[in-house]
Amino acid sequence: MTDTAMAATALGKRFGRRWGLPRSGEAGTGGGWALRDCTFRLPAGRVCAVVGPNGAGKSTLLALAAGLLAPSEGRVTVLGTDPASARARVGYVAQDKPLYPQLTVAETLLVGADLNPARWNAEAAERIVSAGDLNPKARIRTLSGGQRTRVALALALAKQPELLLLDEPMADLDPLARHELMGTLMSQAAQHGTTIVMSSHVVAELEDSCDHLLLVGGGRVRLAGEIDDLLAAHARVSALSEAADLEPHTVVESRVTGRQLTALLRPAGRLPDDWRPTRPSLEELVLAYLRNPQAAPLTPATSEESAV
Amino acid sequence: MVEYRIDRHSGVATYVQIVQQTKQALRLGLLRPGDKLPTAREVVEATAINPNTVLKAYRELERDGLVEARRGLGTFVRRGLSTAPADSPLRAELDGWAVRARKAGLDHDDVAALFIAVLDTHFADHDQHSQGDPS
Amino acid sequence: MTALATPVAASAPQAGPTRRHLRWLLRLHRPALYAWGALVAVLVLVLLALWGPLLDSSAAAWRDYNASCAPGSEHCRYDQNAIIRYRDVYTYTTFTMNALPFLVAAWSGAALVGRELENGTARLAWTLGLSPTRWLAVKLTVPAVLIAAGTSLLVLLHRLAWEASQGRVDTAKSWYDDPTLHANGPTAVALALAGLAAGALAGLLIRRTLPALLLGLGLAFGLYLLAGLALPHLWPTVSNVTGLDTGYAYEGIEVDSGLVTSSGAHIDDPGCGTTTTDGCAELYTKLDATGFYVDYHPESHYWPLQLTTTALLLAVTVAVTAAAFVLLRRSTATSHGRREAAV
Repeated sequence: MTDTAMAATALGKRFGRRWGLPRSGEAGTGGGWALRDCTFRLPAGRVCAVVGPNGAGKSTLLALAAGLLAPSEGRVTVLGTDPASARARVGYVAQDKPLYPQLTVAETLLVGADLNPARWNAEAAERIVSAGDLNPKARIRTLSGGQRTRVALALALAKQPELLLLDEPMADLDPLARHELMGTLMSQAAQHGTTIVMSSHVVAELEDSCDHLLLVGGGRVRLAGEIDDLLAAHARVSALSEAADLEPHTVVESRVTGRQLTALLRPAGRLPDDWRPTRPSLEELVLAYLRNPQAAPLTPATSEESAV
Repeated sequence: MVEYRIDRHSGVATYVQIVQQTKQALRLGLLRPGDKLPTAREVVEATAINPNTVLKAYRELERDGLVEARRGLGTFVRRGLSTAPADSPLRAELDGWAVRARKAGLDHDDVAALFIAVLDTHFADHDQHSQGDPS
Repeated sequence: MTALATPVAASAPQAGPTRRHLRWLLRLHRPALYAWGALVAVLVLVLLALWGPLLDSSAAAWRDYNASCAPGSEHCRYDQNAIIRYRDVYTYTTFTMNALPFLVAAWSGAALVGRELENGTARLAWTLGLSPTRWLAVKLTVPAVLIAAGTSLLVLLHRLAWEASQGRVDTAKSWYDDPTLHANGPTAVALALAGLAAGALAGLLIRRTLPALLLGLGLAFGLYLLAGLALPHLWPTVSNVTGLDTGYAYEGIEVDSGLVTSSGAHIDDPGCGTTTTDGCAELYTKLDATGFYVDYHPESHYWPLQLTTTALLLAVTVAVTAAAFVLLRRSTATSHGRREAAV
């Protein structure tokens, strides 16, 4: 189990009760299921992108993994145990980067040290904060969104987590800080083998940093797996429309322009050379699935089924 | 020491860029046998790319026999890459060919396209690296 | 609320988790701590004044009044201001002490719990390493200790000040005067603790600062009413029967009253008055009434009533606290109750 950082089995979360709505507004599916039938396995040491449109259930998934929400059905395990037992070894940064507004930056770091003394790395926290040129005496409520993100990341990283869950971590950052903090995250992963799971609705932001993908849409997992494997399992083809028979293949998206048929599909066998198959980019793949909600999902569960 | 510059829009897979830039540094003599490559941590901190990408590139270089990983110490250059010296017969032949091409009325771009086409025919296995290239 | 008893981890070199969690809480709520300290200090000073100089000058004024202002006397001289000052200060202080549970409930609902859930800092604490259960336990235990200590001190001083006034200040409040009753004994402490728990439950229920403040206030007010309504019925009353010509005679908290018939039955009092009033004797004959009865609590019941009401309030406080913990554990993942937490 130790090589699995995070796994979900038929995981679901329903918001319906009046008081139970999360602040992030992720219950976009209308008071019903924010997440449903979610099954995947994330090996340890990966940097996983959780992508999907706003309201797709990304935040709910991360909050479930962090033990902040109890699942309505199914189960999720992190670091080989249940989320509540793993809390000390998991770092989490929520989308709105909550911090105590009345405290100063320095006091906020002291809070982090007091709440998790066993794993706290004060030096790391101070390095991240000082890289942002933050006055330690500044009150949190006076900080900009990007500065708050920096402090929130410092808190999560100084905890030296084995699993780091980041909900839209880069949204508030300028390009320079984004690059620098992403570098810090990658360095953490390289040095400690930290598994990082980060959500975003901007795929390009994650393309270079992530090696694993979880595509969530409409509260369900649409794609899950190593990015290389997922890209290799798909092909972009273009062929003469009357001659092409897409039948045996799983078509994600197809379009006919004049006599030309272009499609993104999962080949069931060898593709004819004159279809000129090419490997899609990550962004093309994600967009194709998001544009076509009816496309069959590709997750470890479905590939196991088809392998039988 | 080399510093990698990752161009996200080049269309070349990230790990291939690292392999190519390392080889370039070896050819230019920026890296010599015994030199240490930057650690994965140093590379990803500077470039914000995934650590596994760096490790994949280093494994590729190791397979080519250019570098070796020493446990706990880092990755070190084993041998340099010599480019053909300026006065070699190959260079002279190419020189003569270029003069003839110019006389035949080919311009710079024509010659480059021709050259790459021939390269691709004769060094097809080299093309493997670029498979991740979506373009 | 027993979570503070967790043994100090051997790995923590300078401070155990208890001290660290205490430091975290005080860092967050320092203004509230200072405000509470200042409020208690001011009330202590006022109560000391009420017990000492203010009481002395008022008692002296009453002595002068009684000595010089008998009907027909010509030189009625006394310090009326001293009497009014004492009465006003006593009234406001007693009122403030009665308001403490509401203050506590409002703070607990809004600042202690509601705001943290609203702006997500509760989740921050949970992911930094404080489990939700421990988070709530620390949040309730520390204020509970401070509130219990503060209100106990105030109640003690109020009681001493009030006792000293008996027989010396003619308009001193009786033991059963409602605000005095709730400022004079342990029910005040229990009500403040109930307010803390009620606020926390409100905060967990609503997860918004302002609505939680209002619900906390509402719940505390409900508990205050409950305590007032329940108190007279938590101990057997004493019954006093008097003749139809004397009327009701009792000193204390009345629970029931009316007429006694010749058979000993209790019937409603038509409200006529004693037989000295015209027509009442005939009415009573018609009703077969032989006297007035009143079921009440004399002063000797003061401690039984205080203690039973306190016990009731503490039981409700424990129930409300338990409800808050259950609510929290149902909404967050817990290592033990995961299965039961699933909806």
